Amino acid sequence: MTLRLSTRSVLTLTLLLFMGPIAIRAQSSSTAKPAPHAVQVLKIASSEIKLPPAFEMAVYENTLEQVKKTGLFEEIYRDGDRRASNATGLVMLRADLRGFKKGSAMERQVITVAGTTSIKVHMQLVQPDGKVLLDKDVKGEVHFFGENMRATLNLGKSIAHVLKDNFEKPAASKKS
Amino acid sequence: MSPKTPAVTNLLCRYATRVASALLASCALSALALGQQSPPLPKPVPKRVVSVMGFQDLKKNEKCDVSVGASSLNLKGKFASVEVTIASVEDVLTGDDSARLIGGFLGAMTSFAPYESGRFLSLFRKKLDTLTIQYRDTDGGLHGGILSMHPGEAIALKKALVAAGAHTTVPIDDTAKPAAGSTSGDQKNSEQKL
Repeated sequence: MTLRLSTRSVLTLTLLLFMGPIAIRAQSSSTAKPAPHAVQVLKIASSEIKLPPAFEMAVYENTLEQVKKTGLFEEIYRDGDRRASNATGLVMLRADLRGFKKGSAMERQVITVAGTTSIKVHMQLVQPDGKVLLDKDVKGEVHFFGENMRATLNLGKSIAHVLKDNFEKPAASKKS
Repeated sequence: MSPKTPAVTNLLCRYATRVASALLASCALSALALGQQSPPLPKPVPKRVVSVMGFQDLKKNEKCDVSVGASSLNLKGKFASVEVTIASVEDVLTGDDSARLIGGFLGAMTSFAPYESGRFLSLFRKKLDTLTIQYRDTDGGLHGGILSMHPGEAIALKKALVAAGAHTTVPIDDTAKPAAGSTSGDQKNSEQKL
């Protein structure tokens, strides 16, 4: 009798252990994430810290490219694009430079743990009325391989990753 | 003859240091004068550059022919070409960078070379000049094109663009040294917006 009871309880516990996380995940996915239709990527703002011009533009271009790759937005507009003013469900992606350390590719090769290049930005996704949908610090770094400019690509990837975690595709694009 | 020899030797010993120092000083001065007389010649506008990114239709790191016309900057790659009108250029800024001497596919393959020889090879680096061109498309969208080229050529290309009517936030400084004079990896020669 006790053996039967204990088998039952073990089975129930196992079921709970396996089903619990699935239920939680299902619940969290059911909470609707915002699904903006269009995004306008603004040029990186660097008021206090100066970023070399090539890095500044590389961050902007790589962010645009990586945001496009996510497939989250139907329309992607560049900074200053006049068409954005007529777009529905528009959000603006802002990035404010918070830190920049230019490492050295040669140092990275000689001393593996030194010479890291890092760019830290504060990213915001804002609606045209000023409502902030997302507010986060993001980093792009090169630790081991690659030139310094690779930090801008990694930053773009990090921004795209944060967007993927917090937003979902609009319903129309989901079907297709 | 022989009695004079010690006297000569004495004289030589006495003045040897003075003569040597005078010779050294004259050598150093002449070298300095030579350096002042012949400043490095300005490089001509490059004909071939690498489009790092930011020019639509051109691949990343694609080598292309560059020419500055009366009203446009033309970049011609292997399969596509780009025309940027000078009037749409908002800013032209130079900078410097460095890259592995052996890059690309071969450079990647060297990382598998035995006895850390790939790491050793990656210590050999070449200096580069970069030219960042900010321009707007027909809808007003901002683009940031980055070109890389040999040291000293970026300033020549910037001069040609500015002469054609392109805007820049940092005026051309003729006294600026080319990237070859800077240490590898630093940004001492990079222009910064005011």
